[in-house]
Order: sequence, then structure tokens, then C-alpha cells
Amino acid sequence: MASNHGNTNSEPATNEQIITEFFAKSLHIILESRCPYVSSRNYSGEQVLSSPSSSSSSSSIFWPRDKWFNLALKDCSAALENIDFWRQSYLEPMVVDVVLVQRSSNWDPLNCSPKRALVRNLSSKERYYWNSENDEYRNEVMSEKIIERWVVEYESKKCSNIGGGGGGSGSKRWSSTSSHTLYKKSTLLLRSLYVTVRLLPAYKLFRDLISSAQIGMYNLGHRVSSFVEPFTHTEEAEMQRFVFTPLDTACGRLCLSVLYRSSISDVSSEPSTPMSPQFIPDYVGSPMADPLKTFPSGPLPQGSPSFSHLGRRHSWSYDLYKASPPSGIPSPSPSYSESHATFAKPHSYRLPPTGGTRHLPDETPQEHVKNTNYDEYSPSPNFSMSPSPSPPTYTPGIHISNALKRSESAPVSIPAIRASGIPPLFYNQMLPPSPPLRPSKSSLAKMDCRSTLLQAGSTVDKIFPFGKDEAGRLTGVKISSNSSPQKSISRSSSRLSFPDDYDESEFSGPFVVDEDDMTDPGSRPGSFDPVGNPCGQNDHLGVSAVKKSQDAAVGALVCMLKKAPPLQQDLQNSANLLHGSRPEILKATTIDPNQISGQPVMQQSAAMSSAASLLAPKTTADALEELHGYAVMKNSLLKQGGDHKHT
Amino acid sequence: MNCEVCQLKELEVEHIEVREVLRCILHTILFHRALGLVRPKDVDLELFDITYVQCGDVEHEKKINEKIDHFIDRVEKHPNKKNQICLSFYEVKNKQATWFTNKVERHYWEQWYINLNTVQHPKTHSGKSHHPKVVVDPGETASEERNARRTALESSLREVLFQIIKFVNEKKDHVPPIPNLDGVSFPYEITISSSSDSAFGMDMLKRMLQTGHPTMLS
Repeated sequence: MASNHGNTNSEPATNEQIITEFFAKSLHIILESRCPYVSSRNYSGEQVLSSPSSSSSSSSIFWPRDKWFNLALKDCSAALENIDFWRQSYLEPMVVDVVLVQRSSNWDPLNCSPKRALVRNLSSKERYYWNSENDEYRNEVMSEKIIERWVVEYESKKCSNIGGGGGGSGSKRWSSTSSHTLYKKSTLLLRSLYVTVRLLPAYKLFRDLISSAQIGMYNLGHRVSSFVEPFTHTEEAEMQRFVFTPLDTACGRLCLSVLYRSSISDVSSEPSTPMSPQFIPDYVGSPMADPLKTFPSGPLPQGSPSFSHLGRRHSWSYDLYKASPPSGIPSPSPSYSESHATFAKPHSYRLPPTGGTRHLPDETPQEHVKNTNYDEYSPSPNFSMSPSPSPPTYTPGIHISNALKRSESAPVSIPAIRASGIPPLFYNQMLPPSPPLRPSKSSLAKMDCRSTLLQAGSTVDKIFPFGKDEAGRLTGVKISSNSSPQKSISRSSSRLSFPDDYDESEFSGPFVVDEDDMTDPGSRPGSFDPVGNPCGQNDHLGVSAVKKSQDAAVGALVCMLKKAPPLQQDLQNSANLLHGSRPEILKATTIDPNQISGQPVMQQSAAMSSAASLLAPKTTADALEELHGYAVMKNSLLKQGGDHKHT
Repeated sequence: MNCEVCQLKELEVEHIEVREVLRCILHTILFHRALGLVRPKDVDLELFDITYVQCGDVEHEKKINEKIDHFIDRVEKHPNKKNQICLSFYEVKNKQATWFTNKVERHYWEQWYINLNTVQHPKTHSGKSHHPKVVVDPGETASEERNARRTALESSLREVLFQIIKFVNEKKDHVPPIPNLDGVSFPYEITISSSSDSAFGMDMLKRMLQTGHPTMLS
């Protein structure tokens, strides 16, 4: 124990150092248990000390700052970054506000993603949440409430040689408040502070945050300043005060107190300071959004590989169909915290900024603002795990559409049918912006390269994309090739219910082209060889003639199908339609008898057989057979088209 | 130097709660008196939503656990009694043998009295009732009562911890200078007594004789 009498000259300096370090230590203790983000970095420049005794705690490594008050704490970068001001002058009070930031009630924490959190290129005053992956804005309302206010201050007074303040008896000499005594009492006080911060209600919130139990629901932030807006009477009435016994020195008094909310549950349920909602114009689906923007592939809602193709082309429709991401919200792992270590610095990390700007001194013309050590509200990186867009409403119509698309295993860009639940605008947006939905000759030539039945089915689907009865049956043929007959019937029947919703004008289907081709062969679009070999001028007429015949046959088939009654409907109606369509079919087949070689008989017979079969009651087996027949017909068409091409 | 005494608020605890309550209180007091270099260790209670602090010294933790085990054994043998655990900090003043004792004289400068009223509530008669419907109600009632008791005990335990904090803050002058030691810097002892013990008051008297100063009851 050092003698106080021989060091009178150094006493004031030592006391000042003790007080300065007291400020730093108290800030460290407070933020260590209130700031969820704790840096694991070791600040360089300090020589590591080893514990002289083996009876210490688990770790024998102590930093020099740990020696102060014999209290070794975990690293807390927030504390170390904010204490510089008070190291220079402890005459200013240090006010530490612990702020509870809560999200709005309609927030979906399950869609939080650590990648979509940070506000980019936005100032700290803004309240936007920016979804970096989807270029999507969200409007959100967050509230913050100060749940604790710690005040550490040194009240200086006229130095006196006669006793200290009220800490001890009046008969004590001024040496009783010597550095050693002050140091001992400061150590005791900091011990009490360390225990107290863990008994207050805010500690539970802190623990829940670091244990990732409440990620996305709220966050704890802090503000360290020398001047803050005082609480109103109402606010202060809701809080409790705990005052630590001041430490008297020869020249002042070191005081530590806290105002805290005794019931955090009330706080968490009542947002007190709602921030101004910021509406975001570019949401998914808006015209300003890029419909072609690809989205990261995720879990497919139906698990179909073909859907991924459709998902790529109809990128944001896929996004709408996308299921909610797994609920495994990333926990605040140390690595993640470390990767965002720089964000803990003042002004450098903001998401989401607070609405407590009224508490920011740089908005208030105060002289204390010159405090360069002021730290704005700094939420932890946990708060940065902002949610992805909430999944859209999954309508049954969309589900049916997905089911239908599932059967389309080929990478067809044309949706075969539009589900009734889909609004017209959405349906239009489902369509790929790239055109070749028109089954031009080029598209038909493309089909030559495809050998699978499904591809052929999709080709047929291209040709007969309508949700009419005929299309339903035809696509039913295709579907049944991949699935059970029951499904085929159900799907076809479901499709059959859509014809009224379908708007032909919205779809530039091949049928229109076929009609044009049939009426005006000369207006056929230019030749195109999907293989890449440009057609020569001499082959143009031959190829065009062959394709014209194919188109005519296809067109005839289309007409037949359009006029054919649906399955399981009134046979009388179907018979009437059949009789009405039969002359047309015959006419269609006879228009170009010379242009169709090798196949017209087959086509006609197939058409007639299919028409005749409409009269008979339909069973599952019959439907299956019919589908097979259509498939054979289609294959023949394709084969012939390929043969004529190569000839 | 006076001996500061702190009588903590009496707590009514069940047998299964004794260990956690005692560990929480004893370690909190010790942490305030471990003025050597320490690395605090936060410990969460299992039965209560309270986090207390240990000084991180393994030896002292072991010593406390042994005392608590001794106390629990005593409580199990003599249930439904009021017990008192006394944590005393002392200084070794004089090593010279005296007329009354050959032991080293200890000067107690602080004493903490932890008052526990250990109770053992009757168990439910779920397996013995002849009426199935009656079985459910007592079980639920007992569970609710236990939860209410535990909630009340948690609140009382928090009060005791704040009582410790306030006492430590208000009275600092009697604490001896910090020795150059790590961890718990002052020697201490833990004694156990119950209301039925004849030596319950004798322990108090003995300390009075050893310290040579009248005990100041707060």
C-alpha cells in the first residue's frame, strides 16, 4: 500500500487517471452487455500480459486495459471507439442510451436474409430497407424506445484539503480520499455495475438477441453522447432510477446512475416512436421493375425440373411462385459479425437507421455537439438481416397453372393455357417478352430436332395453345403421356373450364399464322433454319411449299379440334359440332392435297377417327388411346416435315 | 475497524431450489469482494431467469459447492426449518496464541447472513386418488402453485441481489486495502446454522468474542 504522504504531488494526476479509466471501464461494462455485436478482434498495440497467478479464470491472457480495476472484460469495439472524447476530458457527462428498435407487426422475419439487409448508398437518416437482390423496396415502420439511460459524470468542485464530500466522516483527512482509496472504491463500484447490468430487464433482450431467438423482431442499439434530450415527465414516470453511491474525491464526485424501464414486455408491444413510413415505388411486379431480372433459383414450389426453365424465362413470376425460404434465419455468428466489423463504426453502418433523429445532437444546435466522439445510433448487424419479399398469395389458379406447366417438361416458352385465377395482366407478364411464340416455320423446323414425345407434345402445345376444348383434349394427350390418365382427364377438364377466360388477342399463337399461311402462302415469313444453315434461294420455294402443306394440315387439325366437343360433355352437342366441323375439315384437307405428300391420308383418317370417336362415351382408356393417336399424328407430321426439309 | 453485517431478506425455498439460490447469492457477494484481477463468468440460473456473476476462480467455486452440498445434506435431514448461512470476511490480525484459543485471530470486518426457510411441499396424490377427475385438479393446482411460488422466489431473489449491491455501494470504508492477489483477495469462511441448533446463537457469540467488537446488526 503506497503511502499517501509521499505522493501528494501525483495524487491529482493519479486521481484524474483513475476517473478517466473509470469512464472507459463503465462504458465497456455497459456496452458489453447491451451491444449484441462484440468484436472478437484484439486491438493491436497492447502488450498481452500473462496472469501471475494460476488461480485466475479460464483465460490467463489479460490486456493492459484489463488491469484497470482488476476487471478483465470481453472485447467491445463500440466501447473502445466511443471513449476517446472522455479520455480527453472527463468533465463532460457520458450518457449511454440503450435503444430498443422494433419492427412493424407485419414484418416477416422468416424472409430475412443477411444478404439483403444493408442500405446501400443511403445516408444514415433514411429509413429505407433496400432489398439488394430483387431491387425491391419495402415500406416499413420501425419504432425505437430508450429503455435505459446510463449517466456517468464527474461533478467537479472546489478542491479542499479538509475531508472529502459526504462519502466518509467529516473528520477524515483529505488523504482518506487518496488515490488508493479512490481506486478501491472505484473497483467496488464497477463490480456492482457489472452485476447490475445483468439484473436489469434489458439484459434479457440482449441475451435473446445474441442467442438469435429474436432476430428480426427487435434489436438493441446504443448512443453515447455527452448531451441528450431529457425525458419527458411521462417517460420518466415509466422508468425507474437506480443510483450508485457516488465516490467522493478531493476535487469532485464521481456519480453513476441509470434510468431503466422495469417492464420491457410493455415496451416491446407498444412502438412508441414510429418512424415515418417510406413507400417504395419499385416493387416486384411494378412496371418499373425489370421483368427479365433473374432471380436466384430456390426451392421449386412443385419440384418440377421443367419449371426451372419456365422460372428462368418468367423470372419474376417464378419469384411470385417461390415458396418461402427456410425459416433458418442466420444467427449472428461471429464470422458474420466480424465481416461487418466496419459497420460498427459511427456513420459507416446504417441499417435501418432510426427514427430517433430527434435525439441526435447534430440536429440540435448545442455546443456539446462538438463532441467528436458522439456515436449515432448503431444497430447491430443482426438488424441487418432484413427479410426477403414476402411470398405472394398463392392462388389456386396459379397452382393449377403450375400443375399444367409441370407436364411441360420441354423448355417451351409458350404457356399452354392460362389459369382462371390469374389476372390478365399477370398472364401477360407470364408471357416471355421474346416473341417466338408464333409457330412459324422456323419454330416448326426447330421441332424437327426434338425427338422426345414431350417435346413433340410441347410442339403441339405450341400449335394449339388455347384453352379451348380442343386444346384441352390435345394437351390432355400430351399430359397423359407423362402422367396417369386420371390426371390427364382432370387437367383437360380443368382446362376446358377456361375457354371463356382466354383471350386470343393476347396471344400471338401459331394458329393465327397458320391461317395467314393458309390464305396467303406468299406472306409466309422468311425462311429460317434453326440448325443454322441458311436456306438457299433455290430451296426456298420447295421448302415453303412443304411447310405450307404441313401448316395446312396442322391448321385443319386445329380447326377440327377447336370445333370438337370436350370430353364427358353432352354427346349431342358434340355431334352437332362434329357435323358442323366435318365439312370444314374435309375442306381443309382438300385445299392442299398436292402439297401434302405422304401424310394427308393419315392425317385425314386420324382426324376422322378422332371426330368419330367423339360420339362414343369416353373412358379413361379411350382418352388415352385418343391421346396416343394424336401423338402418332404429330410425330408423323414432324417426321414428314423433317424429311421434306432435308430433301 | 467495525464489522459490517448485512442480514439479507429471508427466502422461502424448496429443496431443489436451494443449490441455485445459494450459489447465486454466495457468488454475487464473493464477486464484490474479489478485488484482485478477475475475469468474470456469467452464469445463468436454470430455475430462474437470473444471470449472476462468478469471479471465475475454480478453487473458490469448488469451495462454495462443497459448502452448499453440506447445507443441502443438513436440510434434507432437517426439513422445514429456517437456516442461516453466514459468509464472513476476515483479516488475520494476530498469529500469537492467546489464553482462549490457539488459533489465529481473525478479525471479521464483514458478515453476510443468508436466511433461508427451506420448505418441502407435499406431493400430489395422483396415484392414490380413487377419483380420476380429482387427480387432475390437484396436479394442476400444485403446478400452478409451484409456478407462482417460483415466480415470487425469483422476485425475492432479485431483491436480495439488489440488497447486496446497495450494501456494497453504501459501505466501502470498512473494506481493507486491496492486496496484491488475483481473484478473491480476502479470506472468508462459510458457516451454516439452523434455528433449531443450540449453537445457533453460540456461533454469533463466538464471533463477538473473537472480533472484540459488538456486532452491529443492520
